[in-house]
Amino acid sequence: MSQPTNDVPMVNLTIDGRQVTVPKGTVVWKAAQLAGIEIPIYCYHPKMPPLGACRMCFVEIEKMPKPPQTSCTTEVTEGMVVHTDTELVKKARQGTLEFLLINHPLDCPICDKGGECELQDFTLRYGPGASRFDLKKRHFQKPIPVSENVLLDRERCIACQRCVRFTQDIAREPGLIMEERGFRTMVGVDPNAPFDSIFSGNTVEMCPVGALTAKSYRFMTRPWELRRTPSVCPGCAVGCNVRVDVRVDRVLRLMSRTNDAIDDGWLCDRGRWGYAAVNDPDRLRVPLVRKNGELREVTWDEALDAVAQRLRTLSPAQIGGIGSTHTTNEEAYLFQKILRDGLKTNNIDHFHGVFPAASMNASSGATGAMPWVFTGTIAGLDHAQEIILLGADPYQQQPVLDLRIKKALRNGARLTVISAEPSRIDRIAHRVMRIKSGGEAAIARTLTQVVVAEHLWRGTFAEVNETQLARYGERLKDYTPERIAIAFGLEAEDLRTVARTIAGAHGAVIVYDEMTTRTTGNETLAADVLDLGLLTDNVTQPNAGVGPLFSDANSLGARDMGVLPDVAPGYRALAKPGLDYAAMLGGGVRGLWVMGADPARHMSDPAALAKLETLVVQDMRLTATAQYAHVVLPALSYAEKTGSFTNLERCVQAVRRAMPPLPGARADWEILRAVGNRLGLNWTYRSPSDITKEIATSVPLYADLTREALGSQGQRWNFAGGREADGVLSDGGQLPANGSLPLSH
Amino acid sequence: MAEQMRVVTKDIEIPGIDTLAVYQAHGGYAALRKALAMEPVAVMEEVKISGLRGRGGAGFPTGMKWSFLAKGSSKPTYLACNADESEPGTFKDRMIMERLPHRLVEGVLISAYATGTKTAFIYIRGELKQAARQVGRAIQEAYDAGLAGKNIMGTGIDIDIILHRGAGAYICGEETALMESLEGKRGYPRLKPPFPAAAGIYGGPTVINNCETLSTVPLILANGGAWYAGIGTEKSKGTRIFCVSGHVNKPGNYELPMGTPLRTIIDDYAGGVLGGKRVKAIIPGGSSTPMLDASKLDIPMDYESVAAAGSMLGAAGVIVLDEDTCIVGAVLRMTEFYRDESCGKCTPCREGTYWLVELLERLEHGGGRGSDIALLRDICDNISGKSFCPLGDAATSSIISSIKLFADEYLYHVTQGRCLVGEGARQAIAAH
Ligand SMILES: Cc1cc2nc3c(=O)[nH]c(=O)nc-3n(C[C@H](O)[C@H](O)[C@H](O)COP(=O)(O)O)c2cc1C
Ligand code: SF4
Ligand code: SF4
Ligand code: FES
Repeated sequence: MSQPTNDVPMVNLTIDGRQVTVPKGTVVWKAAQLAGIEIPIYCYHPKMPPLGACRMCFVEIEKMPKPPQTSCTTEVTEGMVVHTDTELVKKARQGTLEFLLINHPLDCPICDKGGECELQDFTLRYGPGASRFDLKKRHFQKPIPVSENVLLDRERCIACQRCVRFTQDIAREPGLIMEERGFRTMVGVDPNAPFDSIFSGNTVEMCPVGALTAKSYRFMTRPWELRRTPSVCPGCAVGCNVRVDVRVDRVLRLMSRTNDAIDDGWLCDRGRWGYAAVNDPDRLRVPLVRKNGELREVTWDEALDAVAQRLRTLSPAQIGGIGSTHTTNEEAYLFQKILRDGLKTNNIDHFHGVFPAASMNASSGATGAMPWVFTGTIAGLDHAQEIILLGADPYQQQPVLDLRIKKALRNGARLTVISAEPSRIDRIAHRVMRIKSGGEAAIARTLTQVVVAEHLWRGTFAEVNETQLARYGERLKDYTPERIAIAFGLEAEDLRTVARTIAGAHGAVIVYDEMTTRTTGNETLAADVLDLGLLTDNVTQPNAGVGPLFSDANSLGARDMGVLPDVAPGYRALAKPGLDYAAMLGGGVRGLWVMGADPARHMSDPAALAKLETLVVQDMRLTATAQYAHVVLPALSYAEKTGSFTNLERCVQAVRRAMPPLPGARADWEILRAVGNRLGLNWTYRSPSDITKEIATSVPLYADLTREALGSQGQRWNFAGGREADGVLSDGGQLPANGSLPLSH
Repeated sequence: MAEQMRVVTKDIEIPGIDTLAVYQAHGGYAALRKALAMEPVAVMEEVKISGLRGRGGAGFPTGMKWSFLAKGSSKPTYLACNADESEPGTFKDRMIMERLPHRLVEGVLISAYATGTKTAFIYIRGELKQAARQVGRAIQEAYDAGLAGKNIMGTGIDIDIILHRGAGAYICGEETALMESLEGKRGYPRLKPPFPAAAGIYGGPTVINNCETLSTVPLILANGGAWYAGIGTEKSKGTRIFCVSGHVNKPGNYELPMGTPLRTIIDDYAGGVLGGKRVKAIIPGGSSTPMLDASKLDIPMDYESVAAAGSMLGAAGVIVLDEDTCIVGAVLRMTEFYRDESCGKCTPCREGTYWLVELLERLEHGGGRGSDIALLRDICDNISGKSFCPLGDAATSSIISSIKLFADEYLYHVTQGRCLVGEGARQAIAAH
C-alpha cells in the first residue's frame, strides 16, 4: 500500500509526529495503520466504504474546522498534521465507549467473544475506567437465530452496521436489516426475505462484539485456547486463505486470512463451516483388508504388503489409478509417479471436465497462454468491463468468486448470465439468457460466428490468422444468431449485442464451469470459448480472461501434476496414452487404485466395482467406493498435513498442518511412499517439501517453484516471474502455435 | 391586531385561493411566465439579488446554493422541496401547503427552471395528510392547465413535479436523509462530502430547499430581487413566517419583516402571554435552538441578533414558556422527542439521548442526584460536535441553555424532589 504506484499520486502527512506517505484517496485511519498507529474503529471496515456511524475513530487534525474529526471518513491531504492522542481525542473516545457500554452487558467472562472482542479491548485501551451510567440496562430474550447458522444476542449489538452493510452492499443479498430507530435500533431479519446467504459467516467474523455468533462455534472454547495456523480453504478451486483454529484435536473454525488477490477478505459458509469431515468421529483410524468377503482391521504393514503384492500380480495394462482433486500437488504428483514409474502404466485419470487435447497446455511453453485454465486472474475481474457467465454459477460452485463479480459490478462492469438453470446472481445481472442444458457450446459458436461475420475480430492472434478466418467462418455458418435464437427462445439481436460487447470491451471475462463441459452438447465448449476469446483479444489482455472455473481445491493441481492419461506432469504429451476415467471404470482394468476420490458416486452401477480383482482405496472415510475395496487405507485431511494446492488461476498456495494427525491415519504421500518402497522404488522423501523440490526441477510448468516462495499468500504462475501480477501474459497472441486454429473444428 | 406583511402568504385570506382559477385570478403563475421568458441564469441572479436565505433552519443564501450545482454531470439534476416540517414549534410549511399550494408549485417550477432541472420532488411529512392532498391537487391542476409537465405554457420547457410522502421521521427533514428516504431506503443521513449539489438524489446533482424558501421565489420574480431585498434588515432580508406557540393567547403563523422585535411578535401579534403571566423563557427558532430568558425579549428577530443573544433564528418557531413552566419538565419533553427521533445511526446521539432522558426523568420525578446536573452537561458535551449529523447537537441545545439559565430549578428538583413552579409544585404542596 505504501509503495508508489504508477497512476495514483502520493500524499505526505504527519501522524503523531511520524512522517507517512500514502496514495491519494487513503483515509486517515488507514494511513495511521500503515504508520503503526492504532485508531480504534467499529463501523469502519477496510473492505467497505466509510460510514462514519460509530464515532470511535476520532483524531484531531490541525487547521480543520470543528475538531475532533473521524479518521475513517477523512481523506489524507498533503501536509496534513494529525494527532491521535490529544485530550480532546481521548475524551471523545471515552465518551463513545461510555455510550456504547450503557446498554451493553458487562459479562465478558460468559460472552463467547471475550478475549477477542473489540469492545472489550478498546475499552481497556481507550475507555473510561468506570461508567457513570447507574440505571438499568436493556434486556432481551437471547439469543435469536438470524439464519440457520448464525445467532444474534441483541443486547450485545453496538449497531455498527457492519453485518448489514456486508450483506446488502458486498454480497448484495437480502436478509439482514436495521430495524426501528434511535435507541431501539436493532439488527433484524427482513420479514420478507430470509437471511440465507452462503456468505453469512462473514458477518460473524466482522461483528466487533459478541452479538453475532456461529452456532457451530458458540461456547465451544475460549479464543486463547486455540492454535491458529495459516492455510488454504479446501472447499473449492478459489483457494481462499484461511486461518485454521484448532482446539487440541478438533478444528473449531476457519477465519479469513485476507488475500486481496484471491479472496479479498471473505470466505463462504461452505468453506468456513465445512470442517465437519475433519472432526468426523466416523473417520477411518485403522487400515482394512478384505478377508472372507469382509473388511477386517489389520496393521499398516499388513495392509501395505497386501497392496504391493496385489498390484504386482497385475500387468501394467491391467492396472489403473484414479486420483483426487482434493489431495495436495505433492500427493497428486507422487500418485501419477508411482503408477508410471512403479507400475509402468498410463491408466491414470480423475473426475474432471472435458477438455480437448490436454497436451495443448504444454505446446505454448512456460511463457505462453494456457488454454485449459482461466487465462485472467481473480483480481483482474475487479476492472473487467464485461463478464459473461456461460454455464457457470460461481455462487454455488466457487462462491467467493461471486463476491468478486459483485465487486466488479460496483466498479461498473456489466454482467451477462447465459445458463440452463436459474442462479442467484440473475437478479442483478444486466442480461440473463436462459438456454437449454448443453447449449452453451452452441452459444459460444454463435457469438464467434457474429464476430467473424461482422468483422469484429481484433488483436494479434486474429491478425496472424486473418487469412483463415473466412474458412473458419464458413464452418460456423449454421450458428447464426437467428437459428440459435429460435432453438433457445432468445432474441437474435441480444446474441449479436453480446458478441459486440465482448469484441469491443476493454477486458471481457468469459467463464464456464468445468463441469458444464460434461453435458451432452458441450463436448467442444472449452475450445469454442477459447476461440471466441482469441478472436476478440480477450485471452491475454489486462482485466480480461477466458476459461474454465474448476471445481475443487486442487482440480487444476491434479491436471498440472499429470493425473491424466495422455500427459505427464506439466502436460508433456505421451506417445501412448492410457485409459481414461470412464474406460477404467467401464471394465478396462482389473486392478484399480483410488486415492481421495469416490468414483462410485459417478457410476450408474457402482456394484460393477465388485468385479475388480483388486481395489485399493485411500480415504478419510469408508466411502461408497471403499465398501467394494480389498484394501482400505485411512488418510489424513488437509488440516493434518503439509503440501500445496493450485487454485483456478494457477496460484500455488501452501497448506499447513494445523493439528496433530488422527492416530492411525497417514497422509496420502506417506502411504504412497510406503507402497513405492515396497514396489522397489527406493523413495527417500522425508517430507512434502522434498517432493515440491522434485516438482520444481522436473516439471517445466512448475519450474522454480519453491516452498519458501509460497510464503503466506502463495506464488503465482509463471513461477520464474514471466507472468505479471495483473494477469497479463507475457507473450500474448502466440497461442496456439503455427498460426492455425487447431481447435476442435 | 397589527397587520402582517404578506409576501409569501400574499392573498392567503382570499377564499378559494387554493384553487388554480382563483390563484390565477390574483396574478398566480404570472411570475412563472415571466421567469420562463428570462434566461435561467437571470432568474438565479434575481434570487441572488433578493438576498433570500434558506428558511429550513441554516439560513444559507439560496441563490448561492443554486449556483453551486455541479455542471456537466452525466446524471440528471434534481430539485427537492423539503416539506418534512417536523421541528417542534414549526408549522409554517404546513399552512402554505394547505392554504396556498399553488404558491409552492409555482415556486418549485421557477426554481427548477432556474437550476436547469427537469424533475422536482416535493417531500411532504407523512403526517401532513391535508397538505399532501392540497399540494397533490394543485400539481394536478397545474399539469392539466399546461403549467407543469411537458411544454410548459407552450415554451417547450419540460418540468415534472413528483410528490412524495414521508413515513413520519424527523430525521428525514435532514437533507441527505430525505434523499435516502426518497430513494426508498431507510432514512439515515449520508456522509458529506459529496454534498447534494455534487451528488444528491440518485447520485445526480441536487438542489434542496425548504418549502417556505421556494414559496418565496414567485414574489421575488414578480416584484424583483431588489424589492425583496428592501424588506428586513441589512443581512437578514425579506419577511419571515414566525410560528408562535406555547403560552400565548393567539398561537399561529405571522409573516413579518425580518428584524421585528420578539416582544412585538408576542404581544402585538400573538396576543400576549396566556393569562397575563410573565414570560420565563423563549425558544426562538424551534426546539433545536437554545432557550433565551425574558431579558432577551427586545431583540430583533433576525439571524444576526438572535445569534448574538446566544441562540439561533432556525426555522422561526417561537415557543413561549410562561413563569409557571417547570423548565426540567419542558426540557424532558423536548429531549424525549430527540430520543425518539434519533435515527440511531451514530453512537452519541442514539445512546446519549436515551441516557439524557433517563436522567431528566429521574430529576423531574424527584429521584435525581446532585451529580446529575454535571453529568447532563458532560453527556451533552460528548454528543455535541461528536454526532454524525446536527440532530445530535440539536438534542443538547435545550439542556445546555436551560442549565445555564435556570440552574436553580434543576437544583431545586435535586434537593426538594419536586418542581419549583407549576403543576408539579402545586401537586406537591397539596400533598403536604
Ligand atoms: C435533523 C434535521 C431536521 C431537519 N428538518 C428540516 C425540515 O423539516 N424542513 C426543512 O426545510 N429543513 C430541515 N432541515 C434542514 C435541511 O437539512 C436543509 O438544510 C434545508 O432543507 C435546506 O433548505 P433551505 O436552504 O431552503 O433552508 C433539517 C435539518 C436537520 C439536521
Ligand atoms: S450485530 Fe455485530 S456487526 Fe451487526 S450491527 Fe451489531 S455489532 Fe455490528
Ligand atoms: S446525530 Fe446520529 S443518530 Fe442522531 S440523527 Fe444524526 S446520525 Fe442519526
Ligand atoms: S470507525 Fe470511524 S465513525 Fe465508526
